[in-house]
Amino acid sequence: MLEATNEVGNVALQAGGTLTDPSAAAALAVGLAALGAGYAERGIGSAAVGAMAEDEDLFVNGLILTVLPETIVILALVVVFIV
Amino acid sequence: MSAVGSSNPEYVVARVRARRGSLYGDEEYRKLVRMGPSEIARFMEESSYGAEINALGSRHGGVDLIEYALNRNLAEQFDAILDWSEGTLYDLVARYLRKFDAWNVKTVIRGVYTDADQSDVEVDLIRAGEFADRRIRRLLEADSIEAVIEVLEDTIYGDPLREAYAEYEETDVLVPLENAVDRAFYERLLSGLPDDEPTQQYEAFLKAEVDFRNAANALRLARSGADIDPAAYFIEGGDLFTRESLARLARNLDELVEYIADSQYADELGPALRELEEADSLIAFEHATDAALLAYGDRLGTVHPVSVTPVISYILAKEREVENIRAIARGKEAGLSADEIESELVIT
Repeated sequence: MLEATNEVGNVALQAGGTLTDPSAAAALAVGLAALGAGYAERGIGSAAVGAMAEDEDLFVNGLILTVLPETIVILALVVVFIV
Repeated sequence: MSAVGSSNPEYVVARVRARRGSLYGDEEYRKLVRMGPSEIARFMEESSYGAEINALGSRHGGVDLIEYALNRNLAEQFDAILDWSEGTLYDLVARYLRKFDAWNVKTVIRGVYTDADQSDVEVDLIRAGEFADRRIRRLLEADSIEAVIEVLEDTIYGDPLREAYAEYEETDVLVPLENAVDRAFYERLLSGLPDDEPTQQYEAFLKAEVDFRNAANALRLARSGADIDPAAYFIEGGDLFTRESLARLARNLDELVEYIADSQYADELGPALRELEEADSLIAFEHATDAALLAYGDRLGTVHPVSVTPVISYILAKEREVENIRAIARGKEAGLSADEIESELVIT
């Protein structure tokens, strides 16, 4: 198993190295940003649902605040276009 | 919901904060103080107590209606909080709310002792604790203290009550049983708390509560001069007293007052202690401890916004509101003037 992984690593390195490839790094950046946004939305989302359960009028505010961290994914997407 | 899974403070805190906004403020209290009992009931019907007032309105009236509606609303709100909470949050909230279980157990035991009617006991219960309705029903159906203890066998009150029962049989007074319930509650309250910052603040609050309770008990004993062993009423877990120091201090009022005035609570309780020395009245002291706890509770809710502390802060504020409305209604019934009632309220 270990040898097999080494093998894969070698192949990857010979093919130009996974992480040194600019587009792979950009993809990783977007992925990590999305992960962060998802984690932030988890907390905000549950708080928003809690607030909405008490007062229906808070639906719009809750929705806006919940998707606010999504902006960070959009900013990260810029990286894809400049590399 | 239950103590399994990860904790979900965001959801609970958001709901609790929304509810906190609908608690009565200065303005409402000023209006309530100038109303009669039936007007208070009508005022409550238009606020968050509407459902309870309507449900109980046909069976009760006047101050009783207000009292039962308050109890039921309190129970429903706290039950809901327990329902929403999961994981560690549930554990931390349940610790505090178990005090209503202790209250219910004591009420049932007292009811059995005085041969009170089952329905009379039932309206005095506050179903806000952890006990399920089925257990409460079985408690109400118990016709002897022995049977009550049997129902509680598998709870934290089982063993302490069984031990205290022997003493009760000898002396035929309820004090050992009630002490056993209280002690079981306080021991569970402070043991095995998780070690993070918000929890430490929560713990400091619980300790202050235990300290104030010990201080009030000691002051009462010292003033009455009764020949009771103060150590028997000592509640474990506080910072201020040890069993020995309390026993020693409760014999001498001046020393006790001085000891409290030199403690870490000097800032909060100083003015009340001076009043105690001058006017010789314990009421001011008890109000000062209540106000200090409430002020601490308010502060508690803002330091760590996403933790257990805002939830506890709301629970305290809600309890205080219920007590204030009850004081207003009972004061009106007894014919006190608006100013006298206002001095009984604890408002921050």
